[in-house]
Amino acid sequence: MRKLMMYFIIVSCCFSFSQNKQLLYGFSEIPQSLLLNPGGKITNDFYFGIPLLSHIHSNVGITGSTVYDIFANDGIDFNTKLQHAVYGMNSKDFFSANQQLEIFSGGFSFGSSYEKNQYLSFGVYQELDFIAYFPKDLAVLALEGNQNNINRPFKTSDINVTAEAISVFHVGYNKKVNNKLTFGVRGKIYSSIANINSTKNKGHFTTTNGQNNFYNHIFNLDLEARTSGLTSLTNDESDSGSVVKDLTKRVFLGGNLGLGFDVGVTRQLDEQWSMDVSLLDIGFIRHKKDIENYKIEGNYIYEGVDPIFTDTANGQTAEDYWNAIEEDFEDIFEIDTTTAKYTTWRPIKFNASLNYAFGEKKYKDCNCTRPEKSYLNSTGLQLFAMSRPKQAQLALTAYYYRRLFNGLQVKATYTIDSYSAYNVGLGMSARLGGVNFYIMTDNFLQLKNIYNAQSVSLQLGFNYIFNKNEN
Amino acid sequence: MRKRIIKFLFLVIVPCVNFFSCAKEIDFEQADDFEISPVIESSLIFFDEPASSFFTSSAEIISIKDSISIEVFNNDFVVDNLIKADFVFEATNSINRTFQIQVDFINDADQQVHSFTLQALSSTDGSDLLSNYIEVFEGDELDALKNTSKLVFTLSLLPGDTINPTTPGRIKLKSKAIFYLNIGDSI
Repeated sequence: MRKLMMYFIIVSCCFSFSQNKQLLYGFSEIPQSLLLNPGGKITNDFYFGIPLLSHIHSNVGITGSTVYDIFANDGIDFNTKLQHAVYGMNSKDFFSANQQLEIFSGGFSFGSSYEKNQYLSFGVYQELDFIAYFPKDLAVLALEGNQNNINRPFKTSDINVTAEAISVFHVGYNKKVNNKLTFGVRGKIYSSIANINSTKNKGHFTTTNGQNNFYNHIFNLDLEARTSGLTSLTNDESDSGSVVKDLTKRVFLGGNLGLGFDVGVTRQLDEQWSMDVSLLDIGFIRHKKDIENYKIEGNYIYEGVDPIFTDTANGQTAEDYWNAIEEDFEDIFEIDTTTAKYTTWRPIKFNASLNYAFGEKKYKDCNCTRPEKSYLNSTGLQLFAMSRPKQAQLALTAYYYRRLFNGLQVKATYTIDSYSAYNVGLGMSARLGGVNFYIMTDNFLQLKNIYNAQSVSLQLGFNYIFNKNEN
Repeated sequence: MRKRIIKFLFLVIVPCVNFFSCAKEIDFEQADDFEISPVIESSLIFFDEPASSFFTSSAEIISIKDSISIEVFNNDFVVDNLIKADFVFEATNSINRTFQIQVDFINDADQQVHSFTLQALSSTDGSDLLSNYIEVFEGDELDALKNTSKLVFTLSLLPGDTINPTTPGRIKLKSKAIFYLNIGDSI
């Protein structure tokens, strides 16, 4: 049984999720792929996203243990499973959720009438991003107490959480310089709806063997949580009506504002080989309004009370002595509340891919050669990296893309990231008339038992597209 | 062509939905069984004094008494989750006198709800003599502890050789509390 448990934990530790949109990246038939590389290839002349339905993305992920590990109805004691989960995870394991909803978007090509080689795209989307690392040391302290952990520092730096809800207004410019080179940039204005941020905590609580008494209890704490946009929502005067009004205002640039940009480039190496690179969300948000920060800071070593031989020469009684200790304790655990402004950086994402197109499209109607060759398949490797509070997330994807019919393309991906070795994803984009529909999900193998999935990611959307080539 | 696409979409989406709908049995109500049992140890009282401390300018001090107000034990969290407590004492005496330490537990109404005494036996040859004592709080004693808001300590010298400024030896006391918690039912 124990072996089985260990196997369970080890296996479950071995997959993870990332915020990687490896299926959408480089999928040029889908206009939203421009959000992953502003310098990507564009295959349409004009498009607009169906409002609120053009891009729905959600991703929930957990590393370490899964919901199934803990809640499986398998007759094993719940607390045993919980303990296994706690011991099986470390402070770099995390729970994360990311969601995006495009409110509207559109784009059109322009330039000289014979060659429209420039493209302007724009839109507004809302994003929710949350990551909380597993506070392993505090979980062990809660589970065991300090009795069997003398000299072990319980690191309060394990507390690491950030959550933000923002809306993003963006305009992107893409230019196909020549057949070899396409580049693009996208400017972004962020409007923060709400933010919680506690990522730079330090300190520890340690019990050591003492000199004067059995133990010294060392409290070394430096904890801070910063929030914006929450105080006004939770105060007594706000009701649901005013909250909705307030939130709507913040979505439309009434929140704490920030600026950022994306850049990207695609390089055609030869007829069949191409490579591209993009950097996304290089930007910051300045939190000035509606701020409440909390801080706990202090050092204290407690070794007990000397109740009898207090400093009687100075008239101190044991009561005074004890009061002084109590005050010291209150001081270190006292929460200082401030309204200091602060800046947060958006998590930067990096994408790069190397692609090989093959299988030339044959035309039934004529056996002629066309000036621009068109390929039915492509395959390649994609690299994804993203900055996160504790360590960057990395993912490497191999993909195969296939145009099945003119109006239907599919893509399959196989992704390895720092934890997972078999994340298979499938996505497709279809066009019926002018309407484009796409859906993609990764960790396909895990969907068989969704509760045992380390991550679930889904993207779908509807666009209305006018295509360049109706071939 | 369009028919082929629709047929293909059907073939792709239906298995997708099937994949999604499949989940093995999960029972979230197990969370009701949540229970953790941490054991917390904390230093209590201590002192370390030479024999001469028990002598004022003219005479030996027979007993010293002092008290501290303490709110930890009747804190809601402790009342709800503490299932047992041990107070562990270790006295090291190299003075040729037996010391008695009495700890009285007083409630809000200033009534004594519990009391115990321990002795640090006299050391006749000046070597360190260890005396250990453990007071266990379970059942009624535990309830008494949870009602305690003040501790009174009385250190007394039991009859023996009179102490003067040159009496050799020291008395040391170390102590800790072991709190056995069981957290689950109350949250």
